Amino acid sequence: MAARFKIAVIGSGPSGLSAAAHAAELGLSHILLEAQSHLSNTLYRYQKGKHVMAEPGVLPLRSPMSFAAGKREQILDTWQEEVARHGVNVCHNAEVVGLTGEKGAFTLNLADGGTVEAEYVVLCIGLQGNLRKMGCPGEDASFVQYQLDDPDEYQNEHIVVIGAGDAAIENALALCDHNTVTIVNRREEFDKAKAANNAAILKAIQDGRVRCVYNAGVGSVSKQPGRNPPGVLTLNTATGEARIPCHRVIARLGATPPRKFVESCGIHFPSEDPTSLPAVSATYESNVPGLYIIGALAGFPLIKQAMNQGYEVIEFIEGRKAEPADEPLLRRKLGGLPGFVDVDQALEVIRSRVPVLAPLTRLQLREFLLDSELRAPSPGEVIFQRNDYTDSFYSIVAGTVDVQIDPDDPSRILSLGGGEFFGEMSLISGRRRSATVRAGGQCVLIETPRRSMSKLIHSVAAVKRVVDEAFLRRAIQSNIAPDVPIEALSEVVGTASLLAFKAGDSLFNEGDTGDGIHLIRRGSVTVSRTIGGREVVLAYVPAGQYVGEMALISDLPRTATARAAVAVETIRLEPAPFKALLARFPVVRNHIQEQFRTRVASNFDAQQQSAERSGIIGFMMAQGLGEATDVLLIDESLCIRCDQCEKACATTHGGVSRLDREAGPTFQNLHVPTSCRHCEHPHCMKDCPPDAIKRLPGGEVSISDACIGCGNCERNCPYGVIHMGVEDNSQPSLWRWMLFGGREPGSAPPKKGKDSIKKATKCDMCKSLPGGPSCVRACPTGAAMRLSPEAFLHASQRR
Amino acid sequence: MRMHDSNASDTLHESFLSFAGFRYLKLALALCLVCVMTYICARPPASGGTWLGYSLGTIGALLIAWLALLGVRKRSYHATLGTVKGWASAHVYLGLSLVVVATLHCGFHFGWNVHTLAYALMIAVVASGIYGIVAYGRLPAQITGNRAGGTLEAWIEELDDIAERSLKVADQIGPDVHQVLIRSAERVRIGGSLRDQLFGPRMTKAVDRQYEQLRQQLATTLRSKTGRFTSIQMQWQTLSPTEKKPRRVTVNVPDAQSTVMFMADQLSGMDQDARDAEHIRSLLDLLARRHDLVTRINRDIRLHALMQIWLYVHVPLTFALLAALIVHIVSVFLYR
Repeated sequence: MAARFKIAVIGSGPSGLSAAAHAAELGLSHILLEAQSHLSNTLYRYQKGKHVMAEPGVLPLRSPMSFAAGKREQILDTWQEEVARHGVNVCHNAEVVGLTGEKGAFTLNLADGGTVEAEYVVLCIGLQGNLRKMGCPGEDASFVQYQLDDPDEYQNEHIVVIGAGDAAIENALALCDHNTVTIVNRREEFDKAKAANNAAILKAIQDGRVRCVYNAGVGSVSKQPGRNPPGVLTLNTATGEARIPCHRVIARLGATPPRKFVESCGIHFPSEDPTSLPAVSATYESNVPGLYIIGALAGFPLIKQAMNQGYEVIEFIEGRKAEPADEPLLRRKLGGLPGFVDVDQALEVIRSRVPVLAPLTRLQLREFLLDSELRAPSPGEVIFQRNDYTDSFYSIVAGTVDVQIDPDDPSRILSLGGGEFFGEMSLISGRRRSATVRAGGQCVLIETPRRSMSKLIHSVAAVKRVVDEAFLRRAIQSNIAPDVPIEALSEVVGTASLLAFKAGDSLFNEGDTGDGIHLIRRGSVTVSRTIGGREVVLAYVPAGQYVGEMALISDLPRTATARAAVAVETIRLEPAPFKALLARFPVVRNHIQEQFRTRVASNFDAQQQSAERSGIIGFMMAQGLGEATDVLLIDESLCIRCDQCEKACATTHGGVSRLDREAGPTFQNLHVPTSCRHCEHPHCMKDCPPDAIKRLPGGEVSISDACIGCGNCERNCPYGVIHMGVEDNSQPSLWRWMLFGGREPGSAPPKKGKDSIKKATKCDMCKSLPGGPSCVRACPTGAAMRLSPEAFLHASQRR
Repeated sequence: MRMHDSNASDTLHESFLSFAGFRYLKLALALCLVCVMTYICARPPASGGTWLGYSLGTIGALLIAWLALLGVRKRSYHATLGTVKGWASAHVYLGLSLVVVATLHCGFHFGWNVHTLAYALMIAVVASGIYGIVAYGRLPAQITGNRAGGTLEAWIEELDDIAERSLKVADQIGPDVHQVLIRSAERVRIGGSLRDQLFGPRMTKAVDRQYEQLRQQLATTLRSKTGRFTSIQMQWQTLSPTEKKPRRVTVNVPDAQSTVMFMADQLSGMDQDARDAEHIRSLLDLLARRHDLVTRINRDIRLHALMQIWLYVHVPLTFALLAALIVHIVSVFLYR
């Protein structure tokens, strides 16, 4: 007679543990079947000491099991202890090989011949149990493995890592310090991996720490008995077969759903694609009644989500309606909405009132609102000021806001009503706010941070389209045709096209026929002419302004070359509708002509200057001035190398200097030390798991205490200005040092123990201090200064 | 004061000397003018004991105390009372005006006593400060010029690399060359004592003599085989662009040149063995680069030392001055 339970949970990953623990908590008869002799095999097989993250941060955890970001060992120990405490009925070494029956009477066959009967089955076997193999002769040889538990286990071996994903890259990098590592990539790029991993592996390959074979498939693996190394891997490469002798092959090819088993249970897959996942209902029930699927196999790969599902699925089986874990948070957030009844109703209201959010799925909208804030500013309250560096995005749910379109004349106002949005200009261009916005009557806004909005724009095409169009219309209106009604611009907007240029590409060349005017959406452009066989830079044009208007007005070929200083996006306006607009509105023509005249005059001035200035601009562009908002420059003819700047920086920031005076290139006497440029689109922000890097209203890009020390920003920064360090806020006394010696103020603090957690440190322009950056204020000779690219170019033009 | 006439950032950066449109130069000049005018007009003529003497003395003492506070302000990184640049500017000009104030204060009365000692110390402090201004004005640009885009760290790394590579090449030529090279590498001197830093390192005589003996010996053996010298010497000349080095930077030249001469001898001694000649040529290249690097590094160290040395005089003398000043003031009031 087989043992009989109400609920059988298959798999003891985060979701299975959570489900079984909740069942135990409720006193339901249950069994947790685990194929291994330990819990949570996927986590168990993580690299030793791996930091496990608890994303998404805002989502609350609802489970009898606890979970917080931390080391693999710590999490596993906690779970082991909690499983015992809750009295979960775990059955180890119980691999389920077959499942038959129906709701109320399932029979589970185990690999050892035993059977288990259950009324309900919760399947939470994840994906990692089914690692993808190489699919070639010798794929199961003794020296081939598909996991890496502890990289330090191997020393002085020749190891081949196969794969181009995050796991393969992380393994290769962890192994390469003590072994000779070759990584085999089927394609020619590592672009499927996270940006930071991509950069790290390319650098390791460039430095020769890891060898790489691109465009290669695995032919076979064979032993060569009695020889050293004992194995040999045969690769099919573009140039023929290659044999690599090795001690070990580690293939990290990802995992696929254990489809055969799942299908044998009667569950349908929506497509033939090996990566496709079975469909589940809103209560996680599969097409087989009574059989529930949660966790990664149901498409929820994050630990916290999976644990919440474990709790919910037991509630559903018990016939209760479990409200989502984020419900209380959303209720608190949306409670301020006029006429609030419940979360579902509020979501509907938002979706119907704000068209830009209409294309979102329910889950996406929930996540979006969790990240956002609902604000109800009183009439006249300033939402943001012109020239602020804030970058959040606002959607208007109700009421109006007033945009002050002319900075010199506060009475000129553009009113935006419910359903519209604003703030997209700074989000896209990365530059200061272009106008001041005040709340109107009965205003209710959703404020969304930059990261959530960028994520949404990149994942939902419909949102991107709407935001792009609005950007286009408003950019044209504010930069080119301020007094023209929106309707009159429709033809210009309709025919405009969005173009992208890599750094160094030219938008157009001197002598080309004019093909339109380029409005710079992001990045910056240099304008140059060839004089005496050399390219002389005449001007620098930042995002939000336009280039190429000369050709339209004068009908002459392009008089200069416009070149992308960094990655640039522009909006090209077609000449015909634009000329029609000029003819209809003389005011626009005057505006453009005025701009044209200033340009000609300043270009003429620039041309009079020596080639040296052009050299300086070229040098500064190469140093990232094109995307900087504020850069530290040292005049080496004044710099007495006293390192006061570094000492001041270290004293201000817990003993870790965030600038390296000596490092960095020098042109003539102008030195660009290794120090943050506060980029318009900070590279460091790209891949920050806790979203700890923020741009402050003053423009400073700074890292908050939320930093987990993962080092992604350090790897992503192209200027090498971020360092991982342990800050120490003890300050030596100046008078004690002067009288008795010891540690001098500004000197490095004593080294901390190995256990202190390193965090990312970078320049924050001394936001905590009055009077500006301490490096500049501490310079005794005036050699150090911080300035914006505009100020730099302006000053260099005056010479 | 600045050496360069075409600086890229002339309009960007403002030197501490021209801070705020020479505000403190004007202030210092005004102070001097007032002091001189009052001195000329004063009856009875000023000396330490008159009302004018006391006034000038008070001004001078306060100035000295304030000037000494620059060291404190410089290290108070959180202070917001002006910028360090402004303080430095005021320090320079008001410090110079102190000469006038103090001289008028003593009314040109000098003697062998603690009062004149304080005066002498003050003049010495000011004099070292003037050296500092000159050094700060001239040397930074020279350091940048000498660096030519490199960094000290990268240079040292390259030196290690050259040592390794040249040994490998030497191995292929013969053990005697290897030996000579090792000795030569051992004798590369970088930095060293204060004297070495300021004037460039020198080799100890014993090492010199020993090395010279070895070189002579080898050279003689080789010369007995062939007699061609001149063409190789010319090659060395072209390989060594730094031959036009400034006065007194004589670092390692005897050493590097001896090694090169030895190599040259080797080259001329080769009986048309093309491969060895090639090795020797690349060794000559490496040695030339090493010579250039060592020269640059030592010049870098020397320029830095010249730029900082004065502070080691200026600051201790300041403390001595403060002590003498206190004795001076106390004794004036006690033994008047």
